[in-house]
Amino acid sequence: MTRNRVLLLAAVLAIFFGVGAYLIFQGVGGGGQAVSIDLTVSGHSMAPTNPGAVSNDYPPSTVVVKQGDRVTMTIRADQPEEVHLHGYDIAFAVPGVNGKVTHTFTADKTGSFPMEIEETSTPLGQFVVTP
Amino acid sequence: MTRVFLHGFGQRYDLPGPLFLYLFAAAGVVVLSFVVVVLFAGDELGAKAVDYPRRRVAWLDGLAAARWPRTAGGVVGVLGLAAVVSTGLFGSQKPFYNPAEYLVWVYFWAALVILGGLLGNLWALFNPWTALAGWLRLPAERKPNRLARFGLWPAVVTYFLFACLELASGVANRPAVIGWLALAYTAFTLGGMAWAGRRAWLEQVECFAVLFGIIARFAPLETEADRRGRVLVHLRIWGTGLLRGEKAGWDQVVFVVLMLSSLAFDGLLATPVYRWWLLSFGGLFGVFGLLGPLGIPALRTVGLATLTAVFLGAFVLVMRFVMWCGWPQVGSPFGRWKGVDAPRALSAFAFTLVPIALVYNAAHNYTYVVVQSQGLIPLLADPFQKGWHLLPTAGYKVSFLLAGAAVVWYVQIVLIVLGHVIAVYLAHLRAGERFKNAAHVLLSQYPMLLLMVLYTMTSLWILAQPITKEA
Repeated sequence: MTRNRVLLLAAVLAIFFGVGAYLIFQGVGGGGQAVSIDLTVSGHSMAPTNPGAVSNDYPPSTVVVKQGDRVTMTIRADQPEEVHLHGYDIAFAVPGVNGKVTHTFTADKTGSFPMEIEETSTPLGQFVVTP
Repeated sequence: MTRVFLHGFGQRYDLPGPLFLYLFAAAGVVVLSFVVVVLFAGDELGAKAVDYPRRRVAWLDGLAAARWPRTAGGVVGVLGLAAVVSTGLFGSQKPFYNPAEYLVWVYFWAALVILGGLLGNLWALFNPWTALAGWLRLPAERKPNRLARFGLWPAVVTYFLFACLELASGVANRPAVIGWLALAYTAFTLGGMAWAGRRAWLEQVECFAVLFGIIARFAPLETEADRRGRVLVHLRIWGTGLLRGEKAGWDQVVFVVLMLSSLAFDGLLATPVYRWWLLSFGGLFGVFGLLGPLGIPALRTVGLATLTAVFLGAFVLVMRFVMWCGWPQVGSPFGRWKGVDAPRALSAFAFTLVPIALVYNAAHNYTYVVVQSQGLIPLLADPFQKGWHLLPTAGYKVSFLLAGAAVVWYVQIVLIVLGHVIAVYLAHLRAGERFKNAAHVLLSQYPMLLLMVLYTMTSLWILAQPITKEA
C-alpha cells in the first residue's frame, strides 16, 4: 500500500519536473544576432545612446542581450576612465575627454554582470545575458 | 561607496528567475504539499510513524571505526586552517587574490555545508580544532560538565556572531581580518576545550560542530554503536535522520530558527527589499547615521536579529495551532498548554524545517560554488602573490559550463521543491508520532503546511528577485 503511494508521489514529482524542464528550456536559444550597444557615461551614471537596445526597467541601466549574440559595445565618457564589465572581464579604457572605446565580443555566458568605473567601483549598470 | 559582498565575499552573476518560473514552482509547491498530506495522512501512529527504513552497509564499518580517516581528515583540516591564517595575514589584501577568502567562504562555508547534507558529517572529520585538541591531549571530558546549565546557548551566540561577521560586518572580504579571526577563534576554541573538555565544548559552544551535526542528521549516512561498542554504519533516506528523537529545548529551537533566518537574510541582502529597509529604517533611526562607518553593520545586525525574531514568532504561533489541532487537550491556541512539554513539542517539529533551509542554501549557493570555487585554482600557483610559480595553474580561466542560467533555474526549482516535499513528509510523520488519531494528525498538518509553504515561497521569491547593488 505504502509502496503504491510512494510511486504515485514519485510520478507526480516526475511530471512536475518534466513540465518545469519544458518551460525553462523551450525559451532557450534564439541568440546569435549582431547587437550594437552605445552607452554614454557622465559622472556616476550611464545612459544608452540608442535606447532601443536598452531597457531601463529598474535602475541602474540594464542592457539585455541573448546568449550567443555578437555584441558591439561602444562606451563614451566625459572624462578618461576605465569602465569594467565584470564576468566577461572586459576593460573599456576611455582614452580622453569625450573619448570613446569599442569592444566586440560574443555574449557566451548567461547571467547578470555588473559594469562599473574600475577606479572608484562606481556601479553604472548591469549587462544581462538571458539564455 | 560600498560594494555588496554576498556570502562574505565574491560577486554574484546569477540571473534572477523569470516570473513564469516562480509562479509555476510556487503552484507546484502548493499542489505537491497537499498530494503528500492526502496520500500519507495518518498512515502510522506512535513510535512506528518515525521508525524510518535503513539499510546496513557493513563494508563501511571498518572505515568508521578506523583511526586513519580521522587522522587524515584532521591533517587536511589543520593544513586548511594554517593556509587561511597564513595567506590571510601575509597574502594579497585584495580578496579575489587571496586563498583565505575562497577557503573560508566558498569551500568551507558554502560547499562543505552542501556536501555535509548530501553525504554525512564531514566537519567531524575535518574540524581542525578537534584534531589540534587531540594532538595537544586536551581532556576529553570534565566531570561535572562546567557548561551543563548553558545548553546550546553558547553555540547560538557564536553562530550569531559568525553570521554577523559574514553578513553584517562588511569586513568579511578583508583577508587580514579573516586571518586574525581564524587565529582568535583557534585560541578561543582550544582554551575552551582545555577548560571545559573537548566533548562539551564541541557539543555546546563550537557553532560549526553544532551546525554540521544538525546538517548531518539530514544526510544519508548514519553510525551507531552496538552493545559491544562496535560502530555500525547504516544508509537512510535523506532527511529521515531528523526524525530521531534527540535533545529538546528552546536553545535547540532558536539554533534551528537562526539557521533559517541567517540564510534568508543572506538572500534578502541582494534584493530591492533590503534597499527599502536600508532607506526607510536607516533614516528613521537616525542613530544608525550617527554611528558613521558602523551604521551599516549595526543596521544589518539589527536586521538579522529582527528577521530571526520574526521567524521564531511565526514558528511559535504556527506551532500553537499545530498543537491545538493535533492535541486538543492543550486548550485554546493562545492559552497556556496543559499537560504538554512546550520545548519538547517545539523542538520535535523545528527539525522538520531543516530540509527547507538546506535546499535553499544549496539553490542559493549553487552558482557561487560551481563558479567562484574555481577562482582558487590560479591562486595555487602563487598563494601569497609574491611572483611564485608553484603550480602551472596561473593561467586558469574560470569556466561557466555548469552555470548557464537555464541549468541554474532548473537545479534551483528541483532542489527547492524536493526539499519542501521532504519537509512536509517529515512533519507529517512527526505528527503521526505525537498525536493520537489520524484525524488529528491530518488536521494538525494544515497550519504546519502553511508555514512551510510560506517559507518555501519566500525562498523562491528571493531567487526570483532582481539583484541590486548598494549605492
